[in-house]
Amino acid sequence: MKCWKRFLTFAIFAMLRGFSSLLLAQNLELSAITHPAPDSWPTYHGDYSGQRHSHLTEINPQNVASLTLAWAFQTNQNAPIKSTPLLVDGILYFTVSDNIWAVDARSGHVLWHYNKPTDDGLHIGHRGVAMYKGWLYYLTPNSHLISLNAKDGSVRWDVVVADVKKGYWTTMAPLVVRNHVIIGVSGDFDNLAGYLRSVDPETGSTQWQWDSTPPVGTPNSTTGGMTWMTGTFDPELNLLYWGTGNPTPVLNGKPRPGDNLYTCSIVALNPDTGKLVWGFSASPHDTHDWDAVETPVLVDGDFHGKPRKMLMQASRNGYFFVLDRTNGKSLLTATFGPVNWSLGVDKEGHPIPNPAKEPAPDGRLIAPDEGGMTNYRAPSFDPKTGLFIVDAHPSYSLYFAKPADGNYGWAGADYGLWGKGVIEAIDYKTGKLRWTHEVGDGGSGAGVLTTDSGLTFTGDSQGSVLALSTSSGKTLWHAGMGAPMVSSPIAYELDGRQYLMTSSGGVLFAWTLPLTNHQGASAR
Amino acid sequence: MKRLYAVISLAVSIGFIPVFNHVGLSQTPPAPPTLNSNSAGAQSYAKNCAICHGEQREGILPGFPPLLDVNRKLTATQIESVIRTGKGRMPKFSQLSPEEVTALLRFLSADPVITGKAQDAANVADVGRPLFQRNCAFCHGRDAAGGETGPDLTRSKLVLTDTDGSKFADVVRNGRPEKKMPAFNFSNEEVHSLVTFIHAQTKSSRPGGRRGVDVSDLQTGNVEAGKRYFNGDGGCAKCHSASGDLAGVASRFQGLQLEQQMLYPRNAKKKVTVTLPGGQSMTGVLAYHDEFTLGLRGADGVYHSWPVTRIHYTIDSPVDAHVELFGKYTDDDIHDLMAYMQTLR
Repeated sequence: MKCWKRFLTFAIFAMLRGFSSLLLAQNLELSAITHPAPDSWPTYHGDYSGQRHSHLTEINPQNVASLTLAWAFQTNQNAPIKSTPLLVDGILYFTVSDNIWAVDARSGHVLWHYNKPTDDGLHIGHRGVAMYKGWLYYLTPNSHLISLNAKDGSVRWDVVVADVKKGYWTTMAPLVVRNHVIIGVSGDFDNLAGYLRSVDPETGSTQWQWDSTPPVGTPNSTTGGMTWMTGTFDPELNLLYWGTGNPTPVLNGKPRPGDNLYTCSIVALNPDTGKLVWGFSASPHDTHDWDAVETPVLVDGDFHGKPRKMLMQASRNGYFFVLDRTNGKSLLTATFGPVNWSLGVDKEGHPIPNPAKEPAPDGRLIAPDEGGMTNYRAPSFDPKTGLFIVDAHPSYSLYFAKPADGNYGWAGADYGLWGKGVIEAIDYKTGKLRWTHEVGDGGSGAGVLTTDSGLTFTGDSQGSVLALSTSSGKTLWHAGMGAPMVSSPIAYELDGRQYLMTSSGGVLFAWTLPLTNHQGASAR
Repeated sequence: MKRLYAVISLAVSIGFIPVFNHVGLSQTPPAPPTLNSNSAGAQSYAKNCAICHGEQREGILPGFPPLLDVNRKLTATQIESVIRTGKGRMPKFSQLSPEEVTALLRFLSADPVITGKAQDAANVADVGRPLFQRNCAFCHGRDAAGGETGPDLTRSKLVLTDTDGSKFADVVRNGRPEKKMPAFNFSNEEVHSLVTFIHAQTKSSRPGGRRGVDVSDLQTGNVEAGKRYFNGDGGCAKCHSASGDLAGVASRFQGLQLEQQMLYPRNAKKKVTVTLPGGQSMTGVLAYHDEFTLGLRGADGVYHSWPVTRIHYTIDSPVDAHVELFGKYTDDDIHDLMAYMQTLR
């Protein structure tokens, strides 16, 4: 009898939680990565497209003004949260450098905390973990890839993926594609070749490596092309899309004539072999540190009357690109803010760098600044309106380089003068701005999430989280979080309620509608 | 008993047991007197705790944790409870008088005094290096000579002239929000180790750093052309005067700093006039402004703020003229203007 009672309680509990969670507790299968359920956020971008668009609609323009705090989680760290949490089976996994937390998404309480300080490698930030089956994949500041048991954070294996002594470090969230864990590296303080590597999820052994540039020491050639942001994947075309970082030496382009392929590029690789299928140079011969690592967003839709498989990127150099992702051919190239470093755009859609705007001994006024027109915080694509919404940073700076700065590493100096933050809604067919929403001096630094109900979530430079109308850009809700958001928001559904998740400083916030609203919603 | 033996043998093997120190110390210079080495707390620590947690609270890893900064991890009540009841392999110290525990807590909450070898500058810099690499290197470069977005600290006037590290500590602890530098919560010793590390970098030269901008780099412009631009196309003379507000500007700022001020003066004040719901108005310096709230500071220094929906306001921001010019300058205009500015001594 007792047994039965227990079974019944368990069964009801299981039904409440949803059947899939019961069957797959802390176990993320490939199908759940390829087709994420509403109660999950299983990869850095939420799905392979990188659209960061949620299909949830419970929170809508009519009720968003009543959004309220469900819970907050304190990391008690100086470093701000830059990562995007994963949500799998009711548990959130997120990071700051040297730390991983597993937190119950219902209550915000900690299940486990991995905390292992490292001295080597730059601790500039950490973007998050990847998950496959019951295992997490985490890159350390000193360039190790660690696989941990998602249940308790215990380490399964630990492999070195780059040489920290040479100047590599790692911050990115790996991407799982079938039986490949794709990892990228950072390291532009030294003349090093960037690369993308595929690692066996079970053993950590290398499956393939694609190098962004020729080997170090190749005459008249570039190094660089770091792969420090998570890319996207098209399962039908079986192509992996990735952005690469700036060439090195960074500000001195003289030792590396030409376009410096494939630095500052968007590349398409075969995920099984690592072979390059096509590459597109977003900043040929960059001399301003403008990594083209921003999300390569994959969109299927109409482009001037023709259905297209597209790839869109709002790039750090101030250009918005629309490419045909089957072959890398340009469909549109347009600026999305002040840009003064180019002589225009060539036939293939590449910006043409102006040699007179390369850093010089007496300084050059450059727009945008080194942080760029946008950076690692994710944009979002809203399919209904066809708007590509990005946190933009109109800005000006001074760039210097002189022979005494040499030809190694930074090889120059630059100084920001002025900048501001603007949330911009770009019409992907024309590159024109449908609306703009100013978010303050300096720049906001918040990523963007859109939802099917017509909401855009982001943040301002003073520390407010904002809900905007996706069609007009008008503010519908805000809340002060105490510090600017420097991560990208996510949304998910749990127990039939929609949650918005944002961070500010070292605090994670889960927002939801008050229970009364929610009850109304569930009765529909 | 076995456990006690293990503690002692470990302590002996690392050389921390007091009796051995008496012998060993004759080889090294005597430790300088520390602020609180004779305090009741320090004596109690030496008697009860040092054998496991180290003479300088540095711990004996992996077995015995350091107690430096223990006051940041545990509250005084929690520390006291651990002392009274023990924890894990740590025995309880129930025999200590309340006065002794209080003294011990005071000692544990004070910053440690670095003694002996660690005072040697090279060693302090070694302590500072990993701290710098973790927290500062991305922006300021691994060698402190500048990295992404952050300036060269080895040339920073503030760092170089700040012999006791107090100004540096101010910047580190408060950040520079207007320049996007975050604040860091470091102890005095950590700040000291960072300053020492940066000073050590000025003497070394490694590849890959940016070396900043010299005054001599900024002498390519033409004074006359700059003066024409100032009075003509630039429109500078609409707000500024060479004999008025800019008189002596080249004595106040030099080189890159002058050029940055010229292009966009940071911390320029904006004036705001607010009309309140009752019709009365208030004028002051704009102290805060976002989409939702506006704050001003009156001439009396008092801060006032309102939801923007409840007031009418106008902001007078002359510095915006500098932003408008960004899109109009040629690089030659800037260099010429800079040449002219440098004549205003």
